[in-house]
Formats: sequence, C-alpha cells, structure tokens
Amino acid sequence: MRRAPLCLLLLFGLVLAPAVSHARARAHVRVYVQTPYLELHTGPGRGYPIFNVVPRGQSVEILFQRTNWLKVRTRRGVEGWASDRDMEQTTLSDGSPLDLHIGTRAGYTSHRFELGAFAGVWGGASLISTYGSLSFNSQLALEGSVGEFFGRYTNGVTADIGLSHVIVPQWRLSPFLMLGVGLVHTEPKATLVQPSNRTEQTAYVGGGLRFYLTRSCFVRAEYKTHVVFTKLDRNEVEDEWKLGFGVFF
Amino acid sequence: METRVRRVLLTAAALLALPGCATIQHWRSHRAEVRAAREEVRAEAAQEQSPNGASSTEIPPPAVRPEVERRRARAARIKSSNFEIGAHFGVISIEDFGSHPTYGVDLAYHVTEDFFLRAELGRATAGRTSFETLGGNIQLLTEGERKFTYYDLGVGYNFLPGEAFLGRKHAMTSSFYVLAGVGGTQFGGDKKFTVNVGGGYQVLPLDWLAVRIGVEDHLFQTNLLGAEKLTNNLEAILGTTVFF
Repeated sequence: MRRAPLCLLLLFGLVLAPAVSHARARAHVRVYVQTPYLELHTGPGRGYPIFNVVPRGQSVEILFQRTNWLKVRTRRGVEGWASDRDMEQTTLSDGSPLDLHIGTRAGYTSHRFELGAFAGVWGGASLISTYGSLSFNSQLALEGSVGEFFGRYTNGVTADIGLSHVIVPQWRLSPFLMLGVGLVHTEPKATLVQPSNRTEQTAYVGGGLRFYLTRSCFVRAEYKTHVVFTKLDRNEVEDEWKLGFGVFF
Repeated sequence: METRVRRVLLTAAALLALPGCATIQHWRSHRAEVRAAREEVRAEAAQEQSPNGASSTEIPPPAVRPEVERRRARAARIKSSNFEIGAHFGVISIEDFGSHPTYGVDLAYHVTEDFFLRAELGRATAGRTSFETLGGNIQLLTEGERKFTYYDLGVGYNFLPGEAFLGRKHAMTSSFYVLAGVGGTQFGGDKKFTVNVGGGYQVLPLDWLAVRIGVEDHLFQTNLLGAEKLTNNLEAILGTTVFF
C-alpha cells in the first residue's frame, strides 16, 4: 500500500508530461483556401455543426491534426476544425498543394512502422498478444511480438522475433509469410504433478492475411506453427491462430 | 519429429530467400533509376558544353534563358494528436468479494473520428467473501492473492457526438462511447482470460484534455469457490486523459 502514493505521483507525471509539451510554442503551417470556401466545424467530426467559413484566397494556420480532422486558426483568430478532404484542396504559400500524412492505401502498401493487437489461440489456450514491426521495404519487415496465454492447465508468456514478407503489398487483401525464433515461458497450474515453471526456445514459421480497412488501420489474421525445443527427448509442436487490428505509421 | 523440424528449417530457408530476392529487385530498380538520372544530366551537360561548334549552329541559342528555380514539394509538418494517455479511479464489484476502490492507466490511439484502439491496466484489492465473514477464522485467499490486477486491449466506438454547454460562454465537445476487448486478470493465485465490455460518456473541456465516466464489465471463468462459473466484475470509473 506504501507504493500507492508513488504510483499516483507517477500517473500524474504521465498525465502532465504531454500537456507541458503541448504548451510549447510551435511555428504553424499556413495554407491558402483554393475552393470557394472552407468549412469550419466546432469539433473533430462530421456530426459537429459548421459555424464559420473561410473564403477563397484567405489563409488559415494549421494548429494540429486529430484523426482525419485538422484544427485551424483563421487570420481573425477564429479556431475550428476542417476535414482532411477539404484541407487537401488548399495550397501552401509557394503554391504547392498541402500533402497530409494521413493514412492512405499508398501508406498501407509502403510504411515504416506497424503496431497491433490480437486475440487468439496458442496451443489450445486463449491468447492475447501485441506486435510491432519495422519495415525495410514494402515487402520485408522485422517483427516482434509478445503474448500471454491462459489455459486450463497452464498459463504462460510468449515472445517472438522474426521476419515477415508481404507477397504483394499493393493488394488490399494481401497474404504474408513469417519466420522467426522465440521464447515461451509456461507456468503449469499448481494442481499438476510437475508444477515447475519453465522457459524454452522456439522457432516458428507461419503465414497470414492482412486487409486494409481505413486510414491507417487494417485487420490482420495469422497462423504460426512453433517448434518448442524442450529439455525432454522430443520437441513439441504448438499451433498459434490469431486475429486482430494493426495500425501503420 | 526430426523430419518435421527439418521441414520447418527448409521452409525457413525458402522463406528467407523470398524477401531477399524482393529486396535485391528493389535495389536493382533503384539503381536503374539512378543510372537514368545520371545519363540525363550528362546529356544536358554535353549539350551545354558545345555551343560554338559547327553542329550547334543548327540550333540557335535561346534568346531568353528562363531562370526558374525548381520547387520541391515537401510534406507539411503538422503535429498530430491521435494518442490519449491517462488514469482512472473508481469502484469495482469483484463477484463474491465485495466492492472496492480501483485505479488504473489507459492508453488509446484514435484511428478515425469514430474508432479507437485502447489498452488499459488496472488494480483493486478484493475483500472477504460472506463465507469468510460468517465462518470466523477461515481465510480462502492470502493477502497477495486478493490483489485483482487486470489488463485489456480493445476497440472502441464513439457515437452521438455533441456539445455540452457550461454557462453561456463555454461549449465542450462530447460523445458517448462503447468498447469491447480481451485481456487477462490475475486474481486468487491464477490468471484468467478476460472479456471486457463497457461504455460511457466523455467531454473535452480543452482540445487536449478529456474527462469520462464509464462502466465496464470484466467477465472471466473461475473455479475459485469450487464450481466453475462465469463471473461479472462490474466497474464504475471516472477517468481523465490527455491527447498527445
């Protein structure tokens, strides 16, 4: 219980840190309206009412972006939210069009980082796992994943690192292959005869499908077959099935 | 078994070769582009270097040499604010073990104006069951086993967006949300696969600050009290998050 105040302090630290960084002054991008007018909404969503319009030729400053909405400030100091579709019609001061890095199909085909979470099955036990990847090109990526499984007789943690290869990155529904090594830590439940925890090395090969949903989000389903190098005479083979969401950056 | 291992290794080798080929192909196409660009530059230079030769008389020198600087399209640097981090406090009713204070941390990523992905970690300490209270000196769980720790990863959906008004001058954007996820719960000396469903209402007093009230149910199977059963552990929370 003595640790509770420390935890709370840490929490407040976490909460305040981004706020402080937010307060730092930044030079904002200024863009010029090229369409007859630019609509400003009261909030970052299509449901929020339009309360102001900026006529053609006038400029707005872009304060920041949230999902597919941009918070802008007009010359008169009016602040509102404009959609990314409308903002892509504006131009910078040198006349070049505004290029927003908001997730698109092109980004899905070729990107640098991915993060995701899955639910599934690991050797008959329920599994929750997350993964992250770093892409070398549109096809080859280094991936790491950690997961926890909850079985009837054993619980455990898995960690994998390996390579993945997207066969045709430009397809919306595109298959990929995986290969790598890992560790599995199993904790048999106390009622079993041999209740010692153990950590073993694994190697896996697998494949899966990813499907582009919208913006920077996709669905990912995968199957891996793990060979667990046990300390016994024979190795074990465990299957892993999982389905989840991923986002790319 | 050994043949299976060998099969895995062979597949592995084949798999490694595939992306390798792809990478080399990329390099090759990149090299070809670089080579084409160089040739172009060389051709231009050659044209410029021979202005007074006999051959150049056929092409008269341009009267006006336009001095236009080439503009490079550059991506605008715009701060994005799609992540949300924060803490929540509340009360959780741990089935058979009473209602107790709970606290935790949340991290969310907003994919679109409607959908977000969220991870949550929380903790509470369970009390005594009525059996323990009535039985006097009986203790089902140790103090350590009474710690109720849960985490979950889920998907949320914002709906009914609107504005909440504070007096005449202040309007805050607001919305309701529902979420569903999966996770794990450590309780009573065991870890359980947990399904998490919930919903709530949130307002944003500032662009970077959100305050929410919500209810969540953490469902998992347990045989802690003898028979295997599905437990509902309802949690009511007040949370605050900041966007970054």
